[in-house]
Amino acid sequence: MNKYIAYWGERALLVLISVVVLFPIGWMFLTAFKKPRDAYSLSLNFEPTVQNFVTVFSDPWNLGSMVLNSVIVAGATVAIAVPCASLAAYSFSRFRVRGRKFLFFLILSTQFIPAVVILLPFFLMFRSLGLLDTRVALIIVNLAIVTPFVIWMIKGFIDAIPTDSEEAAMIDGASRLRVIKDIVLPMAAPGILTSSIFCFILTWNEFMFALILSRRDAVTLPVGLVSFRTERGDLWELMSAAGVMITVPIFIMALLIQKHFTRGMTAGAVK
Amino acid sequence: MNERTLSYALLVPAFVIVIATTIYPLAYSFVTSFREWDLTKQLRPSGFVGLQNYAHAATESGFQNSLWVTAIFVVTSVILTVVLAMSLALLLRRTGRLHTFTRIILILPFAMSPALIGVSYRFMFNPEFGVLAKGLGAVFPALEGTPWLANPDLAMAILVITDVWHWAPYMTFMCLGGLASVPRETEEAARIDGASNLRIVFGIILPQMKGVLLVTAVLKTIFALKMFDQVVTLTGGGPGTSTETMAFFIFNVGFEWFDMGYASALAWILTIITMVISAWYVRMLLSERKMATA
Amino acid sequence: MAEVRLVDIEKKYGSFLAVPQQSLTIEDGEFLVLLGPSGCGKTTTMRMIAGLEDITAGDIQIAGERVNDKPPKDRDIAMVFQNYGLYPHMTVRQNIEYPLKLRKVNKAERARRVQDTADKVELGTLLDRRPSELSGGQRQRVALARAIVRTPKIFLMDEPLSNLDAKLRVTMRAELKHLHHELGVTTVYVTHDQMEAMTLADRVAVMREGRIVQLDTPKRIYSDPADLFVAGFIGSPSMNLIDGAVQDGRFIAEGMDLPVSLPDRDEVVFGIRPEDLELADGDTPIKGRLYALELTGESTLVTMRAGKTSVCARGHADFEAPINAPCHLAPKTGARFYLFDRATGQRLDG
Ligand SMILES: Nc1ncnc2c1ncn2[C@@H]1O[C@H](COP(=O)(O)OP(=O)(O)OP(=O)(O)O)[C@@H](O)[C@H]1O
Ligand SMILES: [Mg+2]
Repeated sequence: MNKYIAYWGERALLVLISVVVLFPIGWMFLTAFKKPRDAYSLSLNFEPTVQNFVTVFSDPWNLGSMVLNSVIVAGATVAIAVPCASLAAYSFSRFRVRGRKFLFFLILSTQFIPAVVILLPFFLMFRSLGLLDTRVALIIVNLAIVTPFVIWMIKGFIDAIPTDSEEAAMIDGASRLRVIKDIVLPMAAPGILTSSIFCFILTWNEFMFALILSRRDAVTLPVGLVSFRTERGDLWELMSAAGVMITVPIFIMALLIQKHFTRGMTAGAVK
Repeated sequence: MNERTLSYALLVPAFVIVIATTIYPLAYSFVTSFREWDLTKQLRPSGFVGLQNYAHAATESGFQNSLWVTAIFVVTSVILTVVLAMSLALLLRRTGRLHTFTRIILILPFAMSPALIGVSYRFMFNPEFGVLAKGLGAVFPALEGTPWLANPDLAMAILVITDVWHWAPYMTFMCLGGLASVPRETEEAARIDGASNLRIVFGIILPQMKGVLLVTAVLKTIFALKMFDQVVTLTGGGPGTSTETMAFFIFNVGFEWFDMGYASALAWILTIITMVISAWYVRMLLSERKMATA
Repeated sequence: MAEVRLVDIEKKYGSFLAVPQQSLTIEDGEFLVLLGPSGCGKTTTMRMIAGLEDITAGDIQIAGERVNDKPPKDRDIAMVFQNYGLYPHMTVRQNIEYPLKLRKVNKAERARRVQDTADKVELGTLLDRRPSELSGGQRQRVALARAIVRTPKIFLMDEPLSNLDAKLRVTMRAELKHLHHELGVTTVYVTHDQMEAMTLADRVAVMREGRIVQLDTPKRIYSDPADLFVAGFIGSPSMNLIDGAVQDGRFIAEGMDLPVSLPDRDEVVFGIRPEDLELADGDTPIKGRLYALELTGESTLVTMRAGKTSVCARGHADFEAPINAPCHLAPKTGARFYLFDRATGQRLDG
């Protein structure tokens, strides 16, 4: 009897958790397909429409350009941060260089810094350089957030790879750089991919920098959401449609790395 | 190139990035925090004013309020997140189809943009047509018509909920990773010795998870101290100033009032608070490590 | 092909001294076996020769050139790792091919040599698998193949046959012996298997706690051990070591009394190999009761006890007697025995 309760209790809990997780997301997806009138009712019995998506991609919202901005900013940030971070992570993981601990701590400690602290000077610098409202500005500030994190994460993955194969390759006649290219990169590839996606998610969702550093031309998706708050009130069905556009690509990526996710998290965290 | 040179050379690109994008701006804002610089009046900063900006922070009520708001927010969200994450991890470490499904979807809240989370909770708690506001009203008639986000305490509670919803899943993954490294044998031995489930969790598992839980708590604290996105999209700092976190307040000082000197000083105060708390955690973590290896 | 000279090399891990001040010269073309108990520093010594481990003091010379600061890739060494060190993301073929690729050997030549080598180690049919799809013994053969696919100046082999079954081990042993004969490459070889050491080595270095305690031909290591440690370590079953004392030119211990040429002293250890003892009748110098019989196939190991003294002898395969029966042992004619100081382990005779 006790066992019976425990069994079904556990399953009921799991279902409850799933509902708590999925409900807000599901509701947003539903709303995205509702006509404005239906969006304000709680009815599940509505006639689905894709009109909201058509609307957000046309004037005056132009979600298309925001999608483009988001893709470029997040893509470029990953493309710059991940290679640089991988090299640094390898060095931190494999070489016993002087001051290694200190340098690594320095990198990690930048994670403790609240983003507003660097936002102020960046705003001032970009203003005087004429870089406000450009993607370049957003890429630069995102690098600040993402780089230390990716170094930390990739180092965790590389630490978990035994050094035997690398040593074998060096004996076989490979130089360090060759070892990195032939042995380390292929073996660390899942970890690097996971870190890249992670980095992409962080940048894609970044809000504070974009809110201040973009106005019209470089606006990214999360900031775009705010523009659906008009004098006529919040346009929920359009916000939801935009929300779907923000989440779908990220959800796909997140589910792709789901398997490596736990490992990546703890590889870095527990060390 | 010899190994030593190479080992440093590999660090160069990353350090160029970190120095240019973090160290330099930090120094810049540090210097600015000792200057008077009202962007609405002057394009360039005027002279140094010593600690005046910091002194102002000690007396100014807006900042004091944000300190208090942040403290409440951090404490509640960190405790709730860590407790919830650990419980979820204990629940989810078993295998089973429902367990796996839940583990998989748990990654979704983390992947969702915090700004969007704020927006969608705002929508759901709208007293007139929000699905949660209406749903709660239907189940508990006393709650019908509650102006959720217009009540300071409830607004704070919802802010905390959005944050826990966002971070607890991520932290669950960290705890799951930690659980995976707790040897099965100790638990099985205890079970054979006749220990109850509760005893196993509190007597065997949790003591071995201390390190992981500490790391989780540090990370969550650091993230909570930066809380900004949902404040903008969920409450706008309101009602009144009841959900103005430090990050939000500093942001306003900088970009609504354009008082760069004062904003920089406040930002540095927040940085120092974060550093102190992190250092305290790190010390706990180190002594914990020492005990674990002894 | 090259001579390897280790001059006063030392290795510290932090404050732990793994190899203290050790010198060793490995002749050009020599097959040197490192033998010693687990943790005595065999792998460490190899890794220092390979350049994978910095030495904390001393010099390493290969072919007369000081190589202390040379990276592994420039030392022209091939190594079989104790734990294989295979490339998990490459197939067996790619694993074996990799050193050739790095040396820019052309494709046709590469393919030919990979196939040859794979056949030698009986892997010919597994070339397209990945290491994770192989058994321990198969992995070890890939590691071996990767080392012998080219002709380096030096081979370093760290227990390259330890995971193979008995039959394959004998085949591979012969293969290695032949290879060494053919190429004459200087080889340093670690093993726990005494048979391997005896059959392969030109010289054996017995190590203990980082030090080489004896460096000699297999024959002399066996028949003329430098001290108690070597005596006890070499040989299977190992040498009988009996505590006792010398009085009036006789070694005395419980159940033992036999003439030796040594001045009187206490605390002496008497050593004799089981194969140097035989079962006898009547008044033998070693007497006790039968304690155990173990049939090994070609012979029977007879263990006899008298008080604290325990002696093992190799007897006829068809020897049979009840346990606890009186047992008489005598050295064979011309048998060698050894006397050691119990405290220092030093040889007292010869
Ligand atoms: N990286 C290291 N850090 C600290 N100590 C080490 C390290 N590598 C080896 N040691 C120590 O050095 C000593 C020699 O180790 P080594 O691996 O050379 O032994 P071995 O003779 O190869 O043993 P085995 O037969 O078990 O392979 C051991 O006591 C070992 O614990
Ligand atoms: Mg070894």
